[in-house]
Amino acid sequence: MLLIKILLSPPVFAAGFLWPLTHEVILRMSLMPTGWQSWVVSAGIVLPFALMAHFRGSWIWIK
Amino acid sequence: MDQISTNQDDSSALSSLNDVQLDVMERKIATKYMQIVPWGAVVWGLGNCLMFIALFPLVLMDIMPLWIAFPIATLNCALAYLPSHEAQHNIIGGPGQRLRWLNECVGHISPIPLVLPYRILRATHMVHHQHCNDPELDPDYDVHARSNIDFFVQYLKNIQPDGGRNNAYGSCLERLGRTDLMLDSAVSEGIYLTVLLAMAWSGHAIEAALLWWLPKLIAGAHLQYYLSWAPHRPGREQGRYRDTRAFKSQLGNIFSAGMQYHIIHHLYPRIPLSLTPAAYRELKPILAQRGCELGNR
Repeated sequence: MLLIKILLSPPVFAAGFLWPLTHEVILRMSLMPTGWQSWVVSAGIVLPFALMAHFRGSWIWIK
Repeated sequence: MDQISTNQDDSSALSSLNDVQLDVMERKIATKYMQIVPWGAVVWGLGNCLMFIALFPLVLMDIMPLWIAFPIATLNCALAYLPSHEAQHNIIGGPGQRLRWLNECVGHISPIPLVLPYRILRATHMVHHQHCNDPELDPDYDVHARSNIDFFVQYLKNIQPDGGRNNAYGSCLERLGRTDLMLDSAVSEGIYLTVLLAMAWSGHAIEAALLWWLPKLIAGAHLQYYLSWAPHRPGREQGRYRDTRAFKSQLGNIFSAGMQYHIIHHLYPRIPLSLTPAAYRELKPILAQRGCELGNR
């Protein structure tokens, strides 16, 4: 049960889906060239949302 | 009593009937619309899911552009629930009947785009019917809101990790003693997440977002707006004739998922969705006599 909870948790969703999604959007919009920097920037965008979802229980602050 | 035609708006004739007589008349009309297999819903449920699944290879193999697939996927998700809803009420085939297998087949397959397990939907939906608008027992109660804007704010709150909606069905299953069904949810969520993650890490994150993630969120709002909120608002009253209503949707009956006649569904859940408008028109004088909220319909 704990494993299921972890797998379905916001940090896993953020790291597994939102991070590569943000990275792809950045590249598709030609905002940055591909490389480790674009991955770091993507992580920087997603991380606050992931932390908010995990600790506050909301991706968008309101709850 | 039998000579009174409900097609005539003869309120004076109806007002002379007592509750038992009205009840007999009401059930006699409703029975005409039951025991009919909704083949349209069967084709709709299975075809819609098939089309949704087909979008993934079509897009990934560059056969269909994503900008076309996105609205189709959103439509597929929005259309995914109702055929399963027919199955939840055993309309296609009840227990022991010849078409029972098809009923269960449509029930399980149809809501796949929404990642909603059929057995959980059925169990919780029956509780919704039994305890409609009960703040403690109705699993759909947390959808209630005062206005359109409030509804969308409430929807955004409900879909958050700590949103009330996440626990509504779980709590309901606990009360029913059916926590075993939570496994269905874990499996379906697990498959959904696996697909999203696999697509995202193989360079198809945008495709995953526009084929499943966003369509599911958009369709979820549509579903809850028209199936849970609009037909039950303001949601303050309980009782057979007061816990839901008929209403006039500005966007028509199809866009509102046929929910303008939701009152018929709550009174007679075995009437197929496609027949609720006809049943409503015939039952309307009786429902008015019963004091139902009929809006402008």
